Amino acid sequence: MSETTSGEESKAGPSRRVVLALGAAAASTVITVRPALAQTAGSVLNCEIPVPEKSGSFIAADGSVVPAGTPGAYPPLARPLKGEEVKTMLAGGQAPAGVNAEAAQAYANYIRRLQAGMSGFTCYASLQMPR
Amino acid sequence: MAATLYAADPPDLVRTVELEGLTLLYHCRSGLTHILAPPAPQILAALAGAPASAEEIARRIGESFEVESEDPAAAIAARLAELEAAGLVWRTRA
Repeated sequence: MSETTSGEESKAGPSRRVVLALGAAAASTVITVRPALAQTAGSVLNCEIPVPEKSGSFIAADGSVVPAGTPGAYPPLARPLKGEEVKTMLAGGQAPAGVNAEAAQAYANYIRRLQAGMSGFTCYASLQMPR
Repeated sequence: MAATLYAADPPDLVRTVELEGLTLLYHCRSGLTHILAPPAPQILAALAGAPASAEEIARRIGESFEVESEDPAAAIAARLAELEAAGLVWRTRA
């Protein structure tokens, strides 16, 4: 949407300002697009978070990414976690199938450290948003 | 009684694309994308410099646009409520 400069007078006379309608109180002007977009309310629970984002590294107990084979660190997960599994895990619930409790804690810490730009961050962020 | 102040993230924490009258906005902190119709983007722009009350937001918008509304206060309040629900605007203290 192009916008003109406001209120300035040209040599030919006052320029017209762009009209902005505020809309009726009942109107809707903001639509939030959910990641892993689908038409159902549960779609965000199907998004995926790989742990870690790049294969080959291990996950330390505090969630940091460390070189493979680091003592005390846990191997990468063979498959990405689904949003629903992550939500349960982060709430202190059951670990995903095939993952022991200690490893789940490390993976949960990894997920909590995700930053924008890392694979899975958008999925993780969308799990945090209330609806 | 002090008016409620509203705040929004600065422009460098969002990415926007203009699409034929609509604005696609990626909110970096939440990772969510929103489709905004006017005057939502203009309200966010009005909050880019500093937090403001609904009345001040209307005044800032009025500096750049000819505002058209039967009830500007109610319209701004409704738009702010939408933006709050989307996580793009929040209330703050002076």
